[in-house]
Amino acid sequence: MKQFVTRRLGYSLLSLLVLSLTIFFFVRVTGDPAALLVEPGASEDDIAAIHHKFGLDKPLWAQYGLFMMSLLRGDFGQSFYYQTPVLDLYFDRLPNSLLLALVAMAFSLAVGIPTGILAAVRVGRFWDSAGKLFALLGLSLPSFFVGLVLILLFSVYLGWLPSSGSGGVLHILMPAFALGWYFAAAHMRLTRSSMLEVLGSEYVKLARLKGLPQSWVIGKHAFKNALIPVVTLAGINLVLMINVAVVVETVFAWPGVGRLLYEGISFRDFPVVQGIVIMGGTMIVVVNLLVDVVYAVIDPRIRLEK
Amino acid sequence: MTVTTRRRDVLALAALGMAAGAVRPAKAAAPSGQLTVGVHITLAPTWLDPAETAGIITPFMVLYALHDAVAKPMPQGNPSPSLAESWSAGEDGLSYEFVLRKGAKFHNGEPVTADDVKFSFERYRGAAHGLLKERVAAVETPDPQRVVFKLKNPWPDFITFYTVASGAGWVVPRKYVEKVGEDGFKKAPIGAGPYKFVSFTPGIELVMEAFDGYWRKTPSVKRIVMKVIPDESTRLAALKNGEVDIAYSIRAELAEELQRTPGLTLRPTVGSAPYYMYFPEQWDPKSPWHDQRVRLATKFALDYNTINKALTLGHSHITGSVIPENFEFYEKLAPPVYDPDKARQLLAEAGHPGGFDAGFYTCDAAYANLGEAVINYLGEVGIRAKLRPLERAAFFKGYADKKYKNIIQGASGAFGNAATRLEEFVVKGGNYAYGSYPEIDELFPLQAVELDRAKRAAILTKMQHLLDDRTMYVSIWQLAFISGVGPRLAESGFGLIKGFVYTAPYEDITLKSA
Amino acid sequence: MSMSSETIVLPPSVSTRSAASRLGDLPMIPIIILAVIAFMAIFADVLAPHNPEVGALTARFKPPFWQTGGTMDHILGTDQLGRDVLSRLIFGARVSMVVGFTAVIFAGVVGTVLGILAGYLGGWADQVIMRITDAWLALPALTFAIFLAAIVGPSMWNIVIILGLVYWTRYARVVRGEVLSLKEREFVRLAIVAGCSKATIMRRHILPNVVNSAIVLATLMLGVVIVTEASLSFLGVGVPPPKPAWGLMLSDGKQGLMVGYWWLTVLPGCCIMLMVLSANLLGDWLRVKLDPQLRQL
Repeated sequence: MKQFVTRRLGYSLLSLLVLSLTIFFFVRVTGDPAALLVEPGASEDDIAAIHHKFGLDKPLWAQYGLFMMSLLRGDFGQSFYYQTPVLDLYFDRLPNSLLLALVAMAFSLAVGIPTGILAAVRVGRFWDSAGKLFALLGLSLPSFFVGLVLILLFSVYLGWLPSSGSGGVLHILMPAFALGWYFAAAHMRLTRSSMLEVLGSEYVKLARLKGLPQSWVIGKHAFKNALIPVVTLAGINLVLMINVAVVVETVFAWPGVGRLLYEGISFRDFPVVQGIVIMGGTMIVVVNLLVDVVYAVIDPRIRLEK
Repeated sequence: MTVTTRRRDVLALAALGMAAGAVRPAKAAAPSGQLTVGVHITLAPTWLDPAETAGIITPFMVLYALHDAVAKPMPQGNPSPSLAESWSAGEDGLSYEFVLRKGAKFHNGEPVTADDVKFSFERYRGAAHGLLKERVAAVETPDPQRVVFKLKNPWPDFITFYTVASGAGWVVPRKYVEKVGEDGFKKAPIGAGPYKFVSFTPGIELVMEAFDGYWRKTPSVKRIVMKVIPDESTRLAALKNGEVDIAYSIRAELAEELQRTPGLTLRPTVGSAPYYMYFPEQWDPKSPWHDQRVRLATKFALDYNTINKALTLGHSHITGSVIPENFEFYEKLAPPVYDPDKARQLLAEAGHPGGFDAGFYTCDAAYANLGEAVINYLGEVGIRAKLRPLERAAFFKGYADKKYKNIIQGASGAFGNAATRLEEFVVKGGNYAYGSYPEIDELFPLQAVELDRAKRAAILTKMQHLLDDRTMYVSIWQLAFISGVGPRLAESGFGLIKGFVYTAPYEDITLKSA
Repeated sequence: MSMSSETIVLPPSVSTRSAASRLGDLPMIPIIILAVIAFMAIFADVLAPHNPEVGALTARFKPPFWQTGGTMDHILGTDQLGRDVLSRLIFGARVSMVVGFTAVIFAGVVGTVLGILAGYLGGWADQVIMRITDAWLALPALTFAIFLAAIVGPSMWNIVIILGLVYWTRYARVVRGEVLSLKEREFVRLAIVAGCSKATIMRRHILPNVVNSAIVLATLMLGVVIVTEASLSFLGVGVPPPKPAWGLMLSDGKQGLMVGYWWLTVLPGCCIMLMVLSANLLGDWLRVKLDPQLRQL
């Protein structure tokens, strides 16, 4: 077991190294941050001064070396645009992102799990079709469109909800809906397939043979077991949500990490982009690692697999 | 308290000679109410510190509230005296003396002194600081109210660069900066402006409160909150919903909607950014663009007024020039006319009777809608171009690296005067000049050392006419920046300062009394 | 040697039913919708009443014909530059089909090949491919797409390449997992005993058995790709104008939503929705038919 965890950890670190290299060089071929901090027409002196200030006048390998060195000390550097430590910015925004992701996840599960169960046990009935359609609709509409329609309806016409920003309970409803809806279909699908798997298993068949009522079988036996993979996926998706909320955050001016990242890219704010991608990557890697380890504990066969 | 405030107002007004826009109802109430501004771009901490002023207009959105300058663009002039009451130039053109205003204070109550001015100039590291430091030999402070700048050589543009084209003239308190350090200053800036810093969340929100010791007048609005709302539709929704009082940058059809909404007002302001077509291959004899008639055809092909009406509700200015009309030494040229037949005829004369495939029309993706409209019109006379919108950073990189061919749709909102624009975009060696014409090049060094303003203006005028005669550029418009104002505002502050697209001066903004 | 010439394909687990009964419950509605979109895409030049990229500013924002101000010339109205919306929707079907299918196929081919290589060869090849896959997966797809868009510049084909490069990892993971279990199966061992080369085994024995999963995944990915393409347009790095892509139309038209120019968003929005919904319904159906074990898609 120990060996398994060590090996997995090694892989994860290796992946993060590849990630850091990828992001470091990618972000540097996309353009010059100095050109964005001045208007076109600025003098070359001004641009050279900015390059020097950010250390962009050094050779690339030296920049990468310095970056990795400070990374090992837990220092993600200073944002070019905000002139603030990247980690400060990140941890300022992270609570907002987590909050949005949690509420969106709650919504997504509230839609995904019931529709998934219905799809597994009541195939072809009205509520199955309606639920499936609703979940799939979230997957089929770009979230910026959903967001704008929501704003138009609930802020402009009805005046019930604030259009943008954060602060109160009301602020989070629309962005969480727009974000969560997109993920509902994934949770529905997994609930359905794992329900089917569990319903086909020996012990559920046994429970049925014992003459237990259908709702009892589904509720008590099947549901509990079918939930495990769904919860696992929800964990992974929660991290994903933090990273993919860019569009929703932009539409609703929600102060999350996604927008920080998107703006970092637009401003060619290399340290911000590197920092957020590596932090996000680390979270994904850690969650995956946890999932793997938990599964390995449950099912020792996995450990033997390469 | 009330009496002193009123007296200060009277004094300030007298000093300004009854400034336009400074006329305020004679009520002497303490500042009250809150103004919420929906900002279209991300608020950066660097904007809180004038020393970091990049060569773009956006930081001034914040600077006008928190800080004040020796002299700055104001409703009554560009530049006009602010912390300095007056200035004068030495006969030899080698020295400039500023006399500071008595009674100007920082937010911590300390007076603004010559020492602070000198310190701020030396601390300044933003746009054009290299140029300023290279040309200024020394800054002297003979007494606390007087600052003298000594130049190495005569430099006719000194005042422009010190007060308009950079942030070097904005003053920060020396003692405070030295006490709290650079990082401390950015976290809790203190200035001499009409509003005090309260709190700042990078990229999200800035809160400021009225400073009752501001020399010009006590602001009328107690609190200003600037909120970043990146999406244009959301900004308009927030304005409609009463969540913000001012929404910056509302374009095209959203502006029409804004205009239709009862209670909301449209406030267009024309900034310093002319948009133009540039033909990088005009110096290549093998290119169709080498023929001036082809370039001229594009000029006649555009229906300027229809484009203007459709995209900026007719508020942009069709100037025909690549120099902003509010710049010093700007020469008014004949405005372009829409004449598609003339355009076709010119093309035919140039050997393209059925038109020709013009290749790419490269532009900043944020202004692709203008590009699409222009291409539509070019296509109508037979100039068939393909739109190539690039994301902003990539666009300017490729532009400066001289990578583009065919047609470039460019724009610049950089500070300066006609000479500084010509230097970058027209004259040989300019960052954005893909080629040049010798007769224009040879005039440039002459004006750079000319101390006689009239003679210098004559040279710069000639250069602008030559530029037009060669059809080196085809100007599309000087862009109107359209903002929306909610029902609670009496004076929104838009358009008070010529060429400034945001609301300012903040102390002139008033709310309707409830 | 004779062994290797014969391809062994694992029967789908629902093989007990006859082919006819399997076709019997074909999801007709999604197939019809996709067929209509494909028809529009193929015959766009004949069907579209106007040039989709040319308009007149003087005729902008004309509503559909049944609203006041609408004309039969522009049945579904005109957009912000006076271009015919119907024509743009028809040509948009072509752009969306081309972008969607080629991106999905590109991603599928790259991901399947790498997945098979990683799964079957194991060792170093596996390590290298899977570490890259993991790193790639950790990059938010939109971020990655914005980067690539900034580097290679905008064009429809670049968007295809970007989407392909972003999404190949999904296939690689699934396929590798399948290959790992196939490797232990009897028929692969027999092939090894019979002296087949690794390349032959991968091509003739492994590939046909993972194709089902790849196809199911591809159908489901079609929707993801189309929606991502629209989101890229919203962020300003999608298919460049004036090309009529549905995502771009939706993003360009969003300003009109508040103004009452509903046709600029609702119509392309419906097209996207119908296409993605159909692809997903078809994908779900295929998944049940071809590969009931497949999960987490």
